[in-house]
Amino acid sequence: MTADTLGDQDQTTARGGTGRRPRRRGSAKLTLLILVAPSVLMLLLINAYPFVYAVFQSVRNGSLIRSGSFVGLANYVDTLTSPAFWHAAWFTVVFTLVGVFGSWIVGLGLALLLRTRLPARNAFKVLLLLPWVVPVVVSATSMNYLVNTPTSPVPEVFRALGLGSPLFLADPTWAKITVCIFKVWISFPFMMMMMSAALSSVDETVYEAARIDGASGWQQFTSITVPMISRSTYISWILMTIFCVNDFPTIYLLTGGGPVDSTTSLLVLAYRTVFQNFQVGQGVAIAFMMTLTLVFVSVLLYRQIRKAAIH
Amino acid sequence: MTVLRENVVAARTTDTRRRPAPKRTAGKWLRFALMLVITVVALIPVGVVVLLAVRPGASSTTAAPFTFENFVHVFQATNTLVWLGNSLMVTLATVVVSIVVAAPAGYVLSRGRSKAVSGYSLLLFVVQSLPVITSVIPLFILFAKLGLVDSLTGLGIVYVGASMSVATWMMAAYMDSIPRSLEEAAWIDGASVFGGFVRIVLRNSLPGVLSTAIFTFLVSWNDYLVAIVFIRSDDEFTLPLGVQSFFQQNIIDWGSVMAVAVVMMLPPVIVFATLNRFFSVGGIGGALAGQ
Repeated sequence: MTADTLGDQDQTTARGGTGRRPRRRGSAKLTLLILVAPSVLMLLLINAYPFVYAVFQSVRNGSLIRSGSFVGLANYVDTLTSPAFWHAAWFTVVFTLVGVFGSWIVGLGLALLLRTRLPARNAFKVLLLLPWVVPVVVSATSMNYLVNTPTSPVPEVFRALGLGSPLFLADPTWAKITVCIFKVWISFPFMMMMMSAALSSVDETVYEAARIDGASGWQQFTSITVPMISRSTYISWILMTIFCVNDFPTIYLLTGGGPVDSTTSLLVLAYRTVFQNFQVGQGVAIAFMMTLTLVFVSVLLYRQIRKAAIH
Repeated sequence: MTVLRENVVAARTTDTRRRPAPKRTAGKWLRFALMLVITVVALIPVGVVVLLAVRPGASSTTAAPFTFENFVHVFQATNTLVWLGNSLMVTLATVVVSIVVAAPAGYVLSRGRSKAVSGYSLLLFVVQSLPVITSVIPLFILFAKLGLVDSLTGLGIVYVGASMSVATWMMAAYMDSIPRSLEEAAWIDGASVFGGFVRIVLRNSLPGVLSTAIFTFLVSWNDYLVAIVFIRSDDEFTLPLGVQSFFQQNIIDWGSVMAVAVVMMLPPVIVFATLNRFFSVGGIGGALAGQ
């Protein structure tokens, strides 16, 4: 339901109350107000108040215990001129792009495979959701076991295959690769579900018609499947972008942002700035700029959905 | 907002539908083999957890290939039972409070037609797109004054806040699918608006309530960021912090870590196995957005 369908008219829900209409209308409104009140109250206390407070914090130089003094936009200027911020921003972009498109490609591929005639298809469908169902804390623990030290199983396998012995979490480049692969592993089941749902809504007769007209498998894919699932694809991209940018545990539990800040994303940077360096204002400023960019990107993608809307 | 709601609906309506597969069967077993390899590789990290949890440790006396010694050890010698209790308590409280708050609000969003309702709906969307960390910092400062830091109550409050907007949309999305004519009939029979909500809409919303409950369950059960900020002492740890606490020791006792990890992943896996009908894409999606 979009905002514009909600706001189209001003009428109460008590349409059925024919006899005592004026009184009914008033009491219906009151009931609705009471029903929504707890939600509004909680939103104000747990969400709105902290947000306003955070805006206030971002223009001061306080810590977790002192409220500090007014510094204007200094926190924002400091952030924008700090190399650590741009480094983290760059890694966030890489992490998000790999996370979104990596998991989408894998998820779409699996969804297409699961659409074909396949023994034990439902068993695969359920089992492949496990990486998404298992808590990140658990899978990060497992990843640590698999790659952490040079004598862990995966480095041992690499050595046995003669691929050298990369330091998966201790080498800056390898740490980035490991974190990104881990993110794709966690996220592909979500994409698989989204794409399976989208594919199942494509009418099979369209393909039959295309086959009769002599379209090849690839032509069917590019001119039927892709346009038909484009809407779901954009939605899944938006959601995955939000998940990736706001992802803390995947990165933090595997590398803590290291080695030498190579896997520090904006969220990890904000967390460290606040809870390790105790610069609350600057940490909040980082989080705000991150969110602003995220909203901007989401809106851009959302416009694409509108364009792609065929239904 | 549109996004999440469409998913909830799309997943519910289309995922279970089956389509006739293309008629070519030649590559059937080839595809099966490919799928098998992919699935096995994808499940290695999960398999490792279970395998290490049941493998006898170095000091073990048993000759059996697998054992529950690690589980016995973590429940006796570590605080695992306390952590499990804490996690269960916080999660249960979060789920109950979220449903109690989100169900009536969802009804208003679903049935209300005024500008205020659409404004509130938009506000929920804005709130959801804010990263948890911006609200965590002020709440930390506030909770420090109220004595809610290092307390499970404080943790639960943050989880309710983090899950409430998505929970409300999920409830509203489900209630949209319940025909208004049912309530209208009840009103004509003399029911109040509240009566119509409770006896007609809420009573028919069980699947929606379950989806929402699963979503809030996941937000609170899987959270790490909020817990690491608010919780300090071992006795107040939730399971994610408990699992991580093993990494602060010099020599990591993998058998114990994985045993606790299994304890932690069992509830979501069980919920998934039994309730996967209600495990809507939007619900799980929202769970991670909450982090």
